[in-house]
Amino acid sequence: MRKFKPILIPLVFIALLYSCKRDSPIVITPVYHGNISFQFAHDVNGQPLIADTMLYTNAAGNNYLVTNVQYFISDVVLHKDDGTLVSFVAPNDVHYLDTDISSTWNWTVPDSIPAGNYTSISFTFGLNEIKNQSNAFLNPPESDMWWPEFLGGGYHYMKLNGKWDSAGSLNPFGFHLGIGQTYAHNVINVDSITGFVQNYFTVTLPASAFTINKSKSTKVEIVMNIESWFETPNVWDFNYWGGSIMQNQTAMHTVAENGADVFTIGYIHY
Amino acid sequence: MNSLKKYKLFFLLLSLLFLPACKKDTPLQEVNIDNTTVYKPTPYKIQAPWYFPTQMNIPADNPLTVEGIALGRMLFYDRRMSGRQAVDSQMCCATCHLQEHAFECGLDGPFVNGQPIGIGGVPTPHVMLPLVNLVWQNNGYLWNGLIRPENPVVSKRRLEDLVWMGVVATHEMYSDTNKARAALQNIPGYKPLFVKAFGTGNITFELMAKAIAQFIRSIVSCNSKFDKYLLGETSLTASESNGFVLFVTEQGADCFHCHGGEGNPLFSTYLFYNNGKDTVFNDPRDRYAVTGNPADHGAYKAPSLRNCELTGPYMHDGRYTTLDQVIDFYSEGLVGSPYVSPLMHKINAGGAHLTMQQKADLKAFLLTLTDNDLLTNPAYSSPVTFP
Repeated sequence: MRKFKPILIPLVFIALLYSCKRDSPIVITPVYHGNISFQFAHDVNGQPLIADTMLYTNAAGNNYLVTNVQYFISDVVLHKDDGTLVSFVAPNDVHYLDTDISSTWNWTVPDSIPAGNYTSISFTFGLNEIKNQSNAFLNPPESDMWWPEFLGGGYHYMKLNGKWDSAGSLNPFGFHLGIGQTYAHNVINVDSITGFVQNYFTVTLPASAFTINKSKSTKVEIVMNIESWFETPNVWDFNYWGGSIMQNQTAMHTVAENGADVFTIGYIHY
Repeated sequence: MNSLKKYKLFFLLLSLLFLPACKKDTPLQEVNIDNTTVYKPTPYKIQAPWYFPTQMNIPADNPLTVEGIALGRMLFYDRRMSGRQAVDSQMCCATCHLQEHAFECGLDGPFVNGQPIGIGGVPTPHVMLPLVNLVWQNNGYLWNGLIRPENPVVSKRRLEDLVWMGVVATHEMYSDTNKARAALQNIPGYKPLFVKAFGTGNITFELMAKAIAQFIRSIVSCNSKFDKYLLGETSLTASESNGFVLFVTEQGADCFHCHGGEGNPLFSTYLFYNNGKDTVFNDPRDRYAVTGNPADHGAYKAPSLRNCELTGPYMHDGRYTTLDQVIDFYSEGLVGSPYVSPLMHKINAGGAHLTMQQKADLKAFLLTLTDNDLLTNPAYSSPVTFP
């Protein structure tokens, strides 16, 4: 991944200095910086999520409630209009979100961001194979996301917990997305595991052009539409898939496909 | 990992920068109190394997010191701490919190079926939780997390506050804090210990509570067979290993989402769950009583499973006396209600439906969490002599 390299500034400066003749005026275009922060919101089809209450119906007609959502986003990339890609330096390259922990809903990125116009924002949902190492996070709440070594190790990308109503009976579901497994002869047993599958994916936020102004902070609201996990491109029917996906790669792949469009921009404040 | 290390280094350097600047304010400075007793407390560092959390719940106004922990250990085991005159009614923390039971009372301890009864003749509302690895517990103390920094009742926010609560409760020492303080003030040998620990011989109940809290925070369990396995020093038997797989797989017994494992060596998230024990909920001390959120009816803190071999009876009300009963419950005994945590994803099947062999394997794994060092470590034992 290309990163903005601050070392270029003095190099350009020196180059300009030496190229100038004594009597010509020195013209330097300074690089200004600002900041960016993110606010996270969780909706169901445009309305703020009301947890623990049977209010929602998905595209398959399942009535459902949501208890909580926990997830990682990582490797945010800001796409500048000149083609430059701006990313954040570790540990700011990972952010953990938890609907039960309000301090995670706001993320003020410490990195200085070059001022200018940007065309879009993208990020990894979950953690890529380099970042997703067991014991990378030793402290809760992140450590509570750990994913068993037997099942591929690292961390849950997401836990989306809730219940659906099946013929009047409440059934728990856990969209627990992480590294998938392939099982020989479809025998779901750790001894039958033949390989692991990375299920993280890239999200490009639609209509996410924004500006970073000199010495100012731009605040971007990112909204997760929870209903979107259950549709587009795949209609998710709980009565077909059941409530758990951790050891079902076909289910996890289906969920990951549905995840590409769950995020949109709410507002951009300057 | 690399980024974490960098981060650590940054904070280390940052803290070095500030170290000389705040020397005057730090409580850990040398003071010559009266020519004979010097206040020069030695900072105490918790020792744990690399995979334990690095963030600890130690209040800024009560840092761990060797002298504070030593005093706290003395008070933890000193029955005069209850402030009672009659010897047969004196109590201390260790009357109920027994080292050989991971600092619970245990089934074969002083109480029938492990249900503590205070000196006032009243049983405790819930059975005990272990006083182990509390230095890493951040989600509130007691089964419902009542004791937490956000508690509107300012005197019930810290581990330190559980000391006065234990002293006054009818179902515990049934005494009062003035008597407890006066009892210690009347023992001349304690004054120099307070001076060494806190720089003052003026014994207050707050300092007593701080010392006991320091001792409790120093009680660490991190040397079980499973720890040795994680450190590559031993291997698990076939049965233990099968049990480990059951413990950490969603299609197995699915214990790990609440009770940790190799990625959460505390063996609990210390979060609150309704685990499908009941259909009617009227305990005035469940999680709902703390949060007021109807979804929290019948929810209690998931206790750590470290040393669970010794911490029966089990569940908040002690309804099970053996690990076999607990495993049977999670295998076949779950009952549904609107409040069951969605993590109990086999609720409608009544449980995980383990075979006899799987139950035996799961139990074999749970027994690898017993830490004999904790149970015998002289640093946690009763002092031989008291002031």
